[in-house]
Formats: sequence, structure tokens, C-alpha cells
Amino acid sequence: MRIVIDLLIAAGLVFATAGTLGILKMPDTFSRMQAATCISTLGVLLLALGGILYAAVMMHSAASAIKIAVIALMVLVTNPVGSHVIAKGAYSHGIRPETKMDTDDLGRDFDE
Amino acid sequence: MQKTKFSAVAATFLVCFVFWVLLDFSFKAEELLAGAIVSLAVALFTARFFIHEDAGWFLNPKRLFSLLRFWCVTFPIELVKANVAMARICFGGCRDIAPGIVKIPTELKSDYGLAALSNSITLTPGTITMEVTEEDGRNWLYVHWIKVRETEPEAAGEAIKGTLEKGLKEVWA
Repeated sequence: MRIVIDLLIAAGLVFATAGTLGILKMPDTFSRMQAATCISTLGVLLLALGGILYAAVMMHSAASAIKIAVIALMVLVTNPVGSHVIAKGAYSHGIRPETKMDTDDLGRDFDE
Repeated sequence: MQKTKFSAVAATFLVCFVFWVLLDFSFKAEELLAGAIVSLAVALFTARFFIHEDAGWFLNPKRLFSLLRFWCVTFPIELVKANVAMARICFGGCRDIAPGIVKIPTELKSDYGLAALSNSITLTPGTITMEVTEEDGRNWLYVHWIKVRETEPEAAGEAIKGTLEKGLKEVWA
């Protein structure tokens, strides 16, 4: 059981590392936010799953397990709302990628 | 200001109370009673800001089952697939990208369905919903896509939200 928990946490860290690399290396704001989503979905979810199993199996504490589940649920509910608002705000504030985007339907429909 | 519906108050009360029980996690009568009173007060004051449609949908077992299947099967599969693709792009040096904003149509009509669909799209790495509009009687989503493969609205929509929309259509038309 311990091995399963460790594997889950390690997998979560792999996805978090991928997201961090993406934030550092992506060329523009929106692509960076896409990479950050990687951290807040599978990164957090796998870590939380490992934590839930640890609390339930190793610590025998249902209360802690449920609290970690509530944390994961809260991240899942609040994250898309936040990234949607940040992306929309950045776009309407006039932030554009340095290299021209191949397709930009939002700019076509609202910029003129 | 819209009139507050009873079902909206009941649904808000239920959500508040469930969260109280989960966070407090003690089942003494006085703690439950205090939670119920606080939840009822919160629900009475805030229900009209949250729910504007019929909130009784989750009493229908078929729709509830469809929603559970969406959350437990359809969505996690899409999430893992997109995460692996994104992690591969990141570890490959972030060179394999073609970012762009595409406009896709959706057949969902209700507020619940649109909110659930656009949040699911945003939660999948590689796509972020930026705007929802209504045109010619259809709802359209503007989606930032890290690797644009299709620019035709219908084909792009199929690639971005294909299975997600099918799963959600069974719950909220």
C-alpha cells in the first residue's frame, strides 16, 4: 500500500514539474496558463489521492481523508473559473502573443 | 431582481450543510443544529444570486446517474489524455505548439450545461474557454487552443468537446 501511495505522489510531482517547465518556457501569456492547468489538475489530484489513501490507510483517520477530498474538490471548482477570468481579462486588456496566432476568431469578431 | 424559488433555497441549503458536515465532521446534535441554522440563513440571503433555473434536476435519478458517470468515467479519461499530451509538449521543450483562438458551436442551451461545459474545457490542459456568446439562436464558445489542428468551427468543436458535450447533454439538455 505504501508503494501505491508513493507512486501516486511521484506521478503527481511529474505532472507538476511538466507544468512548471511549461510556465518557464512557453512563449506567451495564454500558452503559459495552459501549462499551469497541468499543475492544478492532475498534479494536485494525484497528490490529493495519495494523501487520501495515506490518511485513510496509514493514519486510520476518515476526517483527514475527507478534508483532503474537499481540498481537491475546491481546487477543481475554483481553478477553471479563475483561469477563464484571467485569460479573458488579459485578452481584453490588450495582451497579445509576440508571434502572431494562426487563428484568432475572438480578435476577428470583437476587435473591429 | 428575480423572485427566489423554493428549490433554489433548498439546493443552496443542502450544499452549505453538506460542506459544514464534511469540514466539521462531528455528529453531535448541537453542532448539526448550529450548522443547519447558519446554512439556512446563508441560503435564504444568497440563493437568488446563484440559481436562476429549476434546481430540482438532481432529484431525477437518471440525470444524476448520467452526471456521476460523466464525473467518474468520461471526464477523468479526457483529463488524463490531455495531461499526458501537455506534459509531453512541456518536456519536449515547448516547441511543438500552434496557439490560436477558435470559435466552436455548442448545442447545450441551459445555464448549467454551458457552465459545466466551459469549465470542463478550461480544466482540460490545452484548452481555455475565453468567452461565451449567443448568435443565430446557437451558443458559441471562444476557446484558446494550444495546438490548433482544425480551424473549421464544427470540426474544431468535435476535436475539443466531442465526448464532453455528449456526456453533459444527457444531464442538462
